[in-house]
Amino acid sequence: MLHDFLFRLRTIFRRHSAEQELDEELRFHLERQIEKYVASGMSRADATRRARLEFGGVEQVKGECRDARGIGAVEIILMDLRYSFRSLLRSPAFTLCAVLTLALGIGANTAIFTVVNSVLLNPLPYPHPEELLAARKNDSLPNLQDVQRQTTSFSSSGGVNIETMDFLGAGEPMRVHGAFIDAGLFPTLGVEPMLGRWISPAEDVKGGPRTVVLSYAFWRDHFGSSPRILGKTVNLSGNDYAVIGVMPRDFGLPKQTADLFVSLWVAYPSAAAERDVQFMHTYWRMKPGVTITQAQAELTQMDARLAEQFPDTEKERHTSLVPLRDWLVGNVRPALLVLLGAVGLVLLVSCSNFAMLLMARAVARQRELMVRASLGASNRRLIEQRLTESTLLAMAGGAAGLVVAKIGTSLLLALKPEALQRFQSFPMDARVFAFVFAISLLTGLVFGLLPARSATRSNIADSLRETANTSTTGVSRSFLQSFLITGELAMALILLAGAGLLMKGFLRLRSVDPGFNPANVMTMYLQLPETRYPKIPSQTNFRRELLARLNALPGVKAAMITDLPLAGNFVGHRLVIDGRPAPDPGTEPEVQTLSVMGDYFRVMEIPLLAGRDFLSTDREGQPLAAVVNQEFVREFLRGENPIGQRIDWARRDEPHEWMTIVGVVGDVKHSGLNQPVDPAVYSPYSQNDEAWRRWMTLVIKSQTPSAALVEDVKKQVWSLDSQIPLSDIQSMDDLLAVSVAEQRFNLLLLGIFAALAVTLAAVGIYGMIAYRVSRRTHEIGVYMALGAQPRDVLQLLMKDGIKLVLRGIVIGLAGAVILTRLMVSLLFEVKPTDPATLLGVALLLAAVAVLACYIPARRALSIHPMTALRCE
Amino acid sequence: MPPEFIDLPQGTLDLLILRTLSLQSMHGWAVSERIQQISSDVLRVQQGSLYPALHRLERRGWIKAHWGTSENNRKAKFYELTKTGRRQLEFEREAWEKLSVAVTQILEMP
Repeated sequence: MLHDFLFRLRTIFRRHSAEQELDEELRFHLERQIEKYVASGMSRADATRRARLEFGGVEQVKGECRDARGIGAVEIILMDLRYSFRSLLRSPAFTLCAVLTLALGIGANTAIFTVVNSVLLNPLPYPHPEELLAARKNDSLPNLQDVQRQTTSFSSSGGVNIETMDFLGAGEPMRVHGAFIDAGLFPTLGVEPMLGRWISPAEDVKGGPRTVVLSYAFWRDHFGSSPRILGKTVNLSGNDYAVIGVMPRDFGLPKQTADLFVSLWVAYPSAAAERDVQFMHTYWRMKPGVTITQAQAELTQMDARLAEQFPDTEKERHTSLVPLRDWLVGNVRPALLVLLGAVGLVLLVSCSNFAMLLMARAVARQRELMVRASLGASNRRLIEQRLTESTLLAMAGGAAGLVVAKIGTSLLLALKPEALQRFQSFPMDARVFAFVFAISLLTGLVFGLLPARSATRSNIADSLRETANTSTTGVSRSFLQSFLITGELAMALILLAGAGLLMKGFLRLRSVDPGFNPANVMTMYLQLPETRYPKIPSQTNFRRELLARLNALPGVKAAMITDLPLAGNFVGHRLVIDGRPAPDPGTEPEVQTLSVMGDYFRVMEIPLLAGRDFLSTDREGQPLAAVVNQEFVREFLRGENPIGQRIDWARRDEPHEWMTIVGVVGDVKHSGLNQPVDPAVYSPYSQNDEAWRRWMTLVIKSQTPSAALVEDVKKQVWSLDSQIPLSDIQSMDDLLAVSVAEQRFNLLLLGIFAALAVTLAAVGIYGMIAYRVSRRTHEIGVYMALGAQPRDVLQLLMKDGIKLVLRGIVIGLAGAVILTRLMVSLLFEVKPTDPATLLGVALLLAAVAVLACYIPARRALSIHPMTALRCE
Repeated sequence: MPPEFIDLPQGTLDLLILRTLSLQSMHGWAVSERIQQISSDVLRVQQGSLYPALHRLERRGWIKAHWGTSENNRKAKFYELTKTGRRQLEFEREAWEKLSVAVTQILEMP
């Protein structure tokens, strides 16, 4: 046994000389045999012939000797690899084509898989993520604390709400994102601070010490990563907070980003105490062994108890828990899966082209294969050899694909779809590499096997005949080729249909009237700090003065509103209408609540449909005025005259302070172009002083868009109050673009995939026709010499191609009807079987494919009949 | 009518090669010639099986090879029996004799 092993080992290392020795040994035998026959009186030629005949296939004997020596699988693979490598280098054009084709297919797949891997497959960056749940609906701190005290399923739970805070460091005042949390949040997520400690429950009380935990980025950017940061103070919105901790670099909240963390009880006590200010995202960690069903059951009981205790506000709680991961990826999952499916089709198309390239190469190398086969190389060996070559190519394609994928993922990130915003990068981990390796290997084996089977010894006779008569093609090969072309076209059509549907949906979405004119409108956000602007008069003074100064700038009209259209956030209030029976407390309808100042409707070009706009007389102390939108009238005052009706927010105790509807304006899309319009109530800033109404977004219309305007506005704001930060500076057009960014992202990606597939399919069919034309040059020459018209020749050459195109398109349409249903959630007001789109993409693909047939066929016409006839 | 020469029964080629090499070391062609001669041209070894068999025996360590000069002054690969090869030859010879005795007995049944 040992001898056997050493012998094999030596064979592997000495394989070169072993091959040579085998060669020599067999040659010696042959020569010796010839000599013998010559000595017995034969002519040398006869002797040679006889000896060779007796000997049989040299290659076969060599193969059996190799087997006998135990030249194992490794040896054969190494040999094949060397052979493949050499023969690939000899035909660089083919190699480059094949590698590029695969690099595109595999690269696109890897890029999407890398994203899927990061978003859907990688574990969340928290310890024991399987224990973590999120509530679908936001809640208030008092409710959260009641639940924490009265349930047993959870080891901890916590809530967080991101609010902006003013940070006065060095330079311009800045707006930072403060996470207002309760002390349970840190233990729930379970990530220890890098420096210092968490906010403790003892500190998380009304009037507790002002302490802050910093994020890594904030600590790095504003404190130069100073290790002596603990105990220093940070001024936030006018108050000093002591730094007690710094979180590690890779820590982040599940859905949002925050610069720093403060206790809600300490930083915002008025909101913390309100049971119906339900603005906290809540996270829950189950005790080990507790199932989500048990946890949900306990919370449902708890909801019932709260509803009993606080019937005014907590009647409709319906708290529903979901695993944290599902909550995070819920809205991205369908889009990513559709993209993954689409990119899989792209891979199939590029693999088909790869297989056809291999087939073309097999034809070109027919003589070589024939020689090898007649020298006794077995069928199996020939297939193995060709598989080695295709796998080598696929691996090279996979390696190049990694480069494509790296570029692709950074492009994806640059597109910044909202759902992927919490990712700074998409790392390529072991799973991604395994994925690339697996699909490369599979591609090489499966798509190498198809053509390899059609080019083996069983076809020698065919091959010989083909060389003799170039006008026929191997039947099995041409069948395989037709099959691949048809498949490519069908898949390209499915992708085109998907992209077409997204495109139509996107155009529909873009043509939705947002309800205002975004042209040349600049917006920026500012907030009046409570410490310096506690009451309406001081706020009104600031606002009035600021607007006056801005309107004095040449060509500028300015106004302000609490929340911008399309920004996706707004405050909702429950509403009652004077003279109507009041619904049960807690079940009143909710409406969008906005404050405005200045000629907001005129600046935004929102039409006034009835009544009047706000006047400067609608101020504090005067009767409360309100303007509602059309949807409000449609929903609550259908068939009545809205002007003069009185409305108020649902209240528990105090007497109603009725607002009178003075005007009706057009509907504005507030939550997004693809979302329905909610009923909305606008009121003047100067008549309201809830805390959130200190938010202001300036809307500034100018004659022309200009960057200089932003600086002018900043100057005016800071000449009034130098400590107010300005943030979210963006044009209304940008905001409009951002609001459809996700749809554009999907469209762009699917569009790229479809374009890639169509190009590859066109190249495939072009290659097929070009190949057939080159094989039939002689035949064409005869036809033309016999007086065939160019038309007839074109028809002859394109007939097969067109047949395949039609078949591919019909199959593709059937596939599209089945598959596009999966993307219904990504479409806006378009049916997945939209006939116009399907017809359109079918025509487009047909045009491209027919062109791809026509170009090479056309070339055949320029052949002179005499040249063609002489070409054999 | 029986054929002019007989193809070797399965498994006997190894025995014949070992026996042939037990006299002196020789190269592949000589082995096939010798077998043919001694058997009075009855046994003929196909090259397609001779060389794989030689390489198999070498791998098992029963014979070993070295390059030498042939009778016609050419470089040739010579094989010789090793010690284990000699033991193997004895073993196979006994097995063969037992087999042929047994076969003969059955054939000569009355």
